[in-house]
Amino acid sequence: MPFVRRYKNLNTDLDALYKAIVNELQNEKELNIGRELKGDVNGVPFMSVTANRSTIPKLVTGTLREVTVTITGEKNDYLIEMHTGEWFSNLAMPYFGATILVGPLAGLAAAGTTGLMAANYGRKLKNRIKELVKKHSKEKYTDEKVETFI
Amino acid sequence: MPFVRRYRDLNTNLDALYQDIKKELQQDKDLTIANETVGVINDVPFKSIIAVRASIPRAITGTLREVTVTIAGQPDDWLLEMHTGAWFGNMILPGAGGFLVAGPFGAAATVGGTVVFAAEYGRKMKNRIKELVKKNSGKAYSESKIETFIS
Repeated sequence: MPFVRRYKNLNTDLDALYKAIVNELQNEKELNIGRELKGDVNGVPFMSVTANRSTIPKLVTGTLREVTVTITGEKNDYLIEMHTGEWFSNLAMPYFGATILVGPLAGLAAAGTTGLMAANYGRKLKNRIKELVKKHSKEKYTDEKVETFI
Repeated sequence: MPFVRRYRDLNTNLDALYQDIKKELQQDKDLTIANETVGVINDVPFKSIIAVRASIPRAITGTLREVTVTIAGQPDDWLLEMHTGAWFGNMILPGAGGFLVAGPFGAAATVGGTVVFAAEYGRKMKNRIKELVKKNSGKAYSESKIETFIS
């Protein structure tokens, strides 16, 4: 599930913010940077990084598969999109904590505490991005300067 | 938006199907294979491939960003998941045909006729996968052998 935030009037150093986010992804041992795109789209600066899971997971359903973070805009008006992809997320039954997989495929859904789950990782990265935006902005961060689109 | 299908009683050659899907992704000039994960999870064979957009798009909103196809299971009981990711997909206002993006972002949301949109690509790929499943299966394909899960 992606989330998008628009930030205004923060005077953010977007290059430094982007590099800090790339570092954050590189620090996760299960992830490899798969692609970086930097340029502009119709005159709007654009930076995007995708990190892919580098190892076979111990379970599949809900496990983190890839993360993409995109920054586009100018220092006083920009968007950040974060997408965390997970395998077979729509086979999970959220209210029962179970999955519909049975028979030979049940092994895919075996639950464990060691999996790098997309939902947990997404929450963690979202909080970390907030800290990094504050760190790389010259103006004070306030909630009214931020709009979230889910 | 991902979709997942479960296929049963088709006796499908999953290795050949995976290779055909990989070729399909490689043939798209806008995509590059970024990662392949092949192995076994709790005794269930598992193959996953991700192809990412290799170039800066001409427009952002809704443009194809990456495609992931995963196959898991045995020839007579397996799952296929396809995910097509789009940039800023949740900024599209469905029904109005417009975008929420304004001001300096208006340009980034510009729609052009030559852009590869995730929704269109996903539809095309889904149909192609159906053909490839038929091609690589030892038994007759029928709707009763397939179950689709959409979130």
